[in-house]
Amino acid sequence: MTNDEVFAKISAKFPMVEKAAVQVKDYLTVRLSSKDDLLPFAQWAKDSSFDMLETVTATDLLGPVDMKGYIRQQNFNPFLPDGATPQIESAPTTGYPYRPAMDLLWVFFSVAEKARVFVRLELPREGISAPSLVPLFKSADWQEREAFDLLGIGFEGHPNLTKILTPDFTQGHPLRKDYVHIKDRFDE
Amino acid sequence: MNNVPEPRTPPQAALKSDRLFINLGPQHPSTHGVLRIGLTIDGEVIVKAVPDIGYLHRGTEKLAEVRNYHHCVVLTDRWDYVAAMPNNLVFCLAAEKLMGVKTTPRADALRVIMCEMNRIASHLLFFGTYGIDLGALTPFLYAFREREMILDLFEMSCGARLTYNYIRLGGVMTDVSPEWLKRTTEFVEYFKPRLDEYDTLLTYNPIFMNRTQGVGIVSPQEAVSWALSGPNLRGSGVNHDVRKSDPYSGYENYDFDVPLGKTGSCWDRYFCRVQEMRQSVRIIEQAIAKLPDGPFMASGVAKIPKPAPGEAYAHVEGARGDLGIYLASDGGISPFRLHVHAPSFINLAMLQEKLVGMKVSDVIALLGSIDIVLGEVDR
Repeated sequence: MTNDEVFAKISAKFPMVEKAAVQVKDYLTVRLSSKDDLLPFAQWAKDSSFDMLETVTATDLLGPVDMKGYIRQQNFNPFLPDGATPQIESAPTTGYPYRPAMDLLWVFFSVAEKARVFVRLELPREGISAPSLVPLFKSADWQEREAFDLLGIGFEGHPNLTKILTPDFTQGHPLRKDYVHIKDRFDE
Repeated sequence: MNNVPEPRTPPQAALKSDRLFINLGPQHPSTHGVLRIGLTIDGEVIVKAVPDIGYLHRGTEKLAEVRNYHHCVVLTDRWDYVAAMPNNLVFCLAAEKLMGVKTTPRADALRVIMCEMNRIASHLLFFGTYGIDLGALTPFLYAFREREMILDLFEMSCGARLTYNYIRLGGVMTDVSPEWLKRTTEFVEYFKPRLDEYDTLLTYNPIFMNRTQGVGIVSPQEAVSWALSGPNLRGSGVNHDVRKSDPYSGYENYDFDVPLGKTGSCWDRYFCRVQEMRQSVRIIEQAIAKLPDGPFMASGVAKIPKPAPGEAYAHVEGARGDLGIYLASDGGISPFRLHVHAPSFINLAMLQEKLVGMKVSDVIALLGSIDIVLGEVDR
């Protein structure tokens, strides 16, 4: 199934779902209009041979990453001239639309048709939450926990939305662009 | 007269036993790294299993946001350190898509050879350690003898034995020498009969078959719902291989089969991997036979690349499954967002459900058959 055929099928069922302005290269990318569309879309995907939920993740669009989120030590390289830094500092790019929002991403894959569709949904950062797909796809379980842990996205209806990768004492969500590292006993 | 006594049914109350909580790991050798599973057992049956991961979390996705694209290739080695070549490859494919760089035929062929060699090395490690997990110590020695040869070949081509950084943006680090090609051909000729030896050692060993056949059965529907990939998915009989369905680096030009399991048991997953080694040998032979001449590095890759704002996704059939990279750029010198679709992480998630109802002795059989690398689970 080509990307256009998949999109024709999707728009026949969900007329409000449109092609995303920024396409993931070589793959069909669609954008949901609101988070109420997600569950009907996922149910349709499961029923119409897109039976594998490959990925659940998101991008924080707030801006360039805050350098205070990293543990950095002075570089003692004696060959560097004074004042030179071998490390990259994050910097904003002119023209990129940074905004206080997160772009969520789900990837559905059809094992039978070997077709893949990228589904995006942009939500404001404050109190962000989306419906959980665990009742439909078991693979959503840990990936939603990962997105919760690293990006701070709540998933409504998840049976066990707890930390998965970071230690219990870590405060904040490291993949958020404004994450600031708080020193703990392992930093010394 | 048959004088067999009636089987006595004991009163249920007398059989009630206390539930016991035991920790498997995080330092247990058969967890293949630092995985902890909190098991609640009733007698010998598991009633609850809670995998606990994150001991090896290094935050590479965040580290990538303050490194340039060439530096990120170094980070990729540290995910799946048992098969690092596919990690290098998948990041380079995604970044090349983002930058619009086209690789040369020789670079593609060298990438394929290296990835397939690494697949063999990784499956040999699985073959050896899975035998150890189930009490067969001998296969390990044979598997490591051959794996050592592959690592020596890698050392000869790029200087490293585990974290290669060999596949670079736009091509590969350096060309291989005629001597290397000769030795690789010799290794392939040496390795082919060894595969039959492995079958006699472990695959058709009755004790091994009893421990693994019919244990940890994953149905095709379950496998798809858990989004398993690689030999774990194909062991359940689902025909999906990224090299066939979404070919990259010229895999469409090679003739190879996709081994499938029948029942989805631990033995099927094991058998898929052993068969995959044969297919990898076939691919390496073909790739060496028709290795094209020409440059090994494409022109047009900047020293500090600044791809235009955009998004790209690339995925490869790694040793453990469908390894994918989602890469977004805001036009800067570092990736704006790097997400790893890590097959070990996703395959491991089924453990919490599949372990329930199994016997304690089968836990290691199932855990070993999933073939995880904790560096990739935690990233």
